[in-house]
Amino acid sequence: MNPTVTNADWYALAPIAIVAIAALVVLIADLFAPKHVNRYVAIALGVIGLAAAGIDCAAAYGHDYAAFGGAFIVGGFSVVFQEIVIVAALGSIVLYGAIGNGERIAGAVALLLWSACGAMLMAGAGNLMTIFLGLELLSLALYCLCGLADRPTARESAFKYLILSSVASGFMLYGMALLFGASGSVALADFTAPALASNPLLWIGAGLFLVGISFKLSLVPFHAWSPDVYEGAPLPVTAFMSVATKAGTLAVFARFIYAALPAGIAPKLLLPIWIVAAISMIAGNVGMLAQHDLKRLLAYSGIAQVGYILAALAGGTPLGMRYAIFYLAAYTFMNLGAFAVAALLSDDGEQGSRLANYRGLAQRSPVAAAMMTLFLLALAGLPPTAGFLGKILILSTSVSTGYAWLGIALIVGTAISLYAYAKVIRAMYERNEHAHAHDAHPSVPLAWVSAAICVVVVIALTFYPLTPSNVLPLVR
Amino acid sequence: MLVLSLVLVPIVVGLALLVVRNENPTMSRTIGALVALYTLVAAVASHGSEWSYRWLSRPFEASFHFGDTAISYWLVLLLAICTLCAILATNVPRQRAFIAQMLLLEGAMLGLFLARDLLLFALFWDLMLLPVFFTLLGWGEHVATAWRYFIYNFAGGLCLLLATAAFGMLFGSTDVIGRSDVHLVGAWVPWIFWGFAIAFLVKTPVWPLHTWMPLTYSDTPSPMVAVVSAVQSKGGLYGLIAIGMAFMPDYLKAYAGIFVVLGVISLLYGAFVAVTQNDAKRVVAYSSLSHLGLIVIALASFNATALQGAVIYIVAHGLFSAALFLILGFVESREETRSLVRLGGLGAANPRLAGALCIAALAALGLPGLAGFVGELVILTGIFQAGFTIPAILALIPIVLASAYMLRLFQGIMNGPEVPDLPVRRDLGWLEGLALAPLVLALVVLGVNPHALTTFDASAYNAVASTLQGGTR
Repeated sequence: MNPTVTNADWYALAPIAIVAIAALVVLIADLFAPKHVNRYVAIALGVIGLAAAGIDCAAAYGHDYAAFGGAFIVGGFSVVFQEIVIVAALGSIVLYGAIGNGERIAGAVALLLWSACGAMLMAGAGNLMTIFLGLELLSLALYCLCGLADRPTARESAFKYLILSSVASGFMLYGMALLFGASGSVALADFTAPALASNPLLWIGAGLFLVGISFKLSLVPFHAWSPDVYEGAPLPVTAFMSVATKAGTLAVFARFIYAALPAGIAPKLLLPIWIVAAISMIAGNVGMLAQHDLKRLLAYSGIAQVGYILAALAGGTPLGMRYAIFYLAAYTFMNLGAFAVAALLSDDGEQGSRLANYRGLAQRSPVAAAMMTLFLLALAGLPPTAGFLGKILILSTSVSTGYAWLGIALIVGTAISLYAYAKVIRAMYERNEHAHAHDAHPSVPLAWVSAAICVVVVIALTFYPLTPSNVLPLVR
Repeated sequence: MLVLSLVLVPIVVGLALLVVRNENPTMSRTIGALVALYTLVAAVASHGSEWSYRWLSRPFEASFHFGDTAISYWLVLLLAICTLCAILATNVPRQRAFIAQMLLLEGAMLGLFLARDLLLFALFWDLMLLPVFFTLLGWGEHVATAWRYFIYNFAGGLCLLLATAAFGMLFGSTDVIGRSDVHLVGAWVPWIFWGFAIAFLVKTPVWPLHTWMPLTYSDTPSPMVAVVSAVQSKGGLYGLIAIGMAFMPDYLKAYAGIFVVLGVISLLYGAFVAVTQNDAKRVVAYSSLSHLGLIVIALASFNATALQGAVIYIVAHGLFSAALFLILGFVESREETRSLVRLGGLGAANPRLAGALCIAALAALGLPGLAGFVGELVILTGIFQAGFTIPAILALIPIVLASAYMLRLFQGIMNGPEVPDLPVRRDLGWLEGLALAPLVLALVVLGVNPHALTTFDASAYNAVASTLQGGTR
């Protein structure tokens, strides 16, 4: 390893540092901001910090660099995942404009930013230490965030998340230890040595590592935590969790399977993961059918959507990676959009999450209902949305790489999911003669803007399918 | 650009109508009719032109490529006429939103028939389900019907999607509809073929995938079901011709037996059930199952004559089923029932309505001189030529049954003594007459002069005909 640390190494961390510092600024500014505007000060500072980080991060696109001797690797891959995390954080922070106890907003925003730092670190992590550091930073901040509400379910959510997530981290750590034992190194780059291909330690280590990953991705059968945690957590936190944890963990997973395995063992070693992905697609969508809460519904939906994304990665091809990223980006906007609409309907994040409150929404607020319809159709993969194109792209990859059975699981899952999404749509368009037009909730400009942006992106991605070309994960 | 506007104008106007707050029913109807008229004119004016814009270049090439082909041209005209007539005949609660859904449906279906790219075709295939779903939810009588329609057709749409993706990966491009140089080979092709075929057979529908259809046709408000039965169901048949027959002729030939059997069962089953129905709309719904079964046999028989007959019959069936559903809508709005047991004796007070129903019903049962007869005759000749003797003989039975159920329909509504407890309403108004006139007129014109549809075929069927030349013995 190269012991010298140059300025370039520090620059590589700049986006993360900007977000972390923005969180500190939010906390400090909260001490001086007048009570009635502190909510907006916190949000504004958070947004500025994230925007600055986003711009700085984008500048690194196309300049591959392995910082700190390969511990943190900057490249197209890390840039794309970091941007997705930044977008997720942006979309979630603005939801605090309407939701939550004003006195706690600054703390919540700061924690959310730090959590985003963790996910961004995972996006570029090049060795096991950085991976674990990022993961724990992400998770620790989220445990607190989940508990930051006055409801008992919030505390239950936080506690459940803490316990189960720690168990998963334990699995992952043990796996990492075995991987280290096998290769004598924590660097992902060293796992590719051909001699390791037949080393049982590597197989067991990688297996345990992937169990931890599956838990964080909430794949079936490691999914049971996510509906409960999503339901209990405050709305903005759920929105963030549903995207950022998945983005960060997927980055680690993709880098691990693309770049950190000895040649030739991937199809065999990873087969269980693909089976789990196929089961998740079906079980997640079946789970959606019985839900009465939007957050739980989207939790189950997320289980299935991760399955779809994994299907794109199964072939291990560069195109598959691009489509996985495309779908993840599309999913980010659909999901954030759905949560933004939910925020429109609620003062405290609760009304917007009960599906009963969506009954007859089209009469009260036709625009909100139309936007929610679009997001749900996108999640279901109907045109004219990015979800449709994303599914086509994933199908084409899975068919051409010999994983057609994953494509069929995707089709079956989608067919099931349609019923669940359409049920919500139907409830929104139910006519109630007693309802009055516009007795909906107060205007929440930030959430409106956020939802509108998501609408535009979800449609635009259908017609301009941007898939960045330079996204293969690197290891050094 | 004109051809692009054909798709975009109805969709944009439809979305705008959903947003505006003016509830004046006449205004919405006028706007809707003008848009439908525009699509009719633009479809004629843009015949033969194309518009294309690159969509994907990886993993396969796909384009936003619009333009009519020889067969889709007729479907586009049929769609524009049916939508125009249906909108003129529209008189429902919440008119504005309903007209908006009609326009969205027209736009999506124009997109389907004008799509020259398989991926675009798949996109509009799914898109055209949504207006019908929302209409069934908003105006239909049973929510369960909406679900059944949506789930069946969306499941078909997913098969189509998977098949399209596989097609793209195998061939490298989906920008293929209307091209004659595309022949798919490979181990995957049977799967691709069945992916497409299932979607098309659900949509048409054929037995045993038809169970969504009678419910949908009887629950959807008449103006929309006129368009759905006349044109949307043809999406499946059009797909079989433009995709199945054009790109995978060997497989259509290999599995022809299955198609013929399904077609014959639909043909017989639909006809027998139609005779027993008391709900007037269901009689027509099951008769559709029967008629479209005949077209499926025609396509599977792989014969140039049968194909010509199929195209004629597709148009003819569109015209008479749209007319029948619109007329039944008028009957229902007058008498508040469509049960053949309750209805009766309307003919005396409503001679114009009775006349229109008479022509439409006679066209449906295949009376010479009306469009339905030409199609049936040419199809039967073609099937017989192709050597499918037994199906051709079996196909004669439903023709007899068609007389039974269509005359029963007419008699049940129009003939007999006037039923005392039914309200007596005035005959067709000028607007209702205007809505039916083009359909009835077209039935007569095409019946007397079917050449309008067949003369163009020399150049028209190029794509399909070249595969047929190799195909017929």
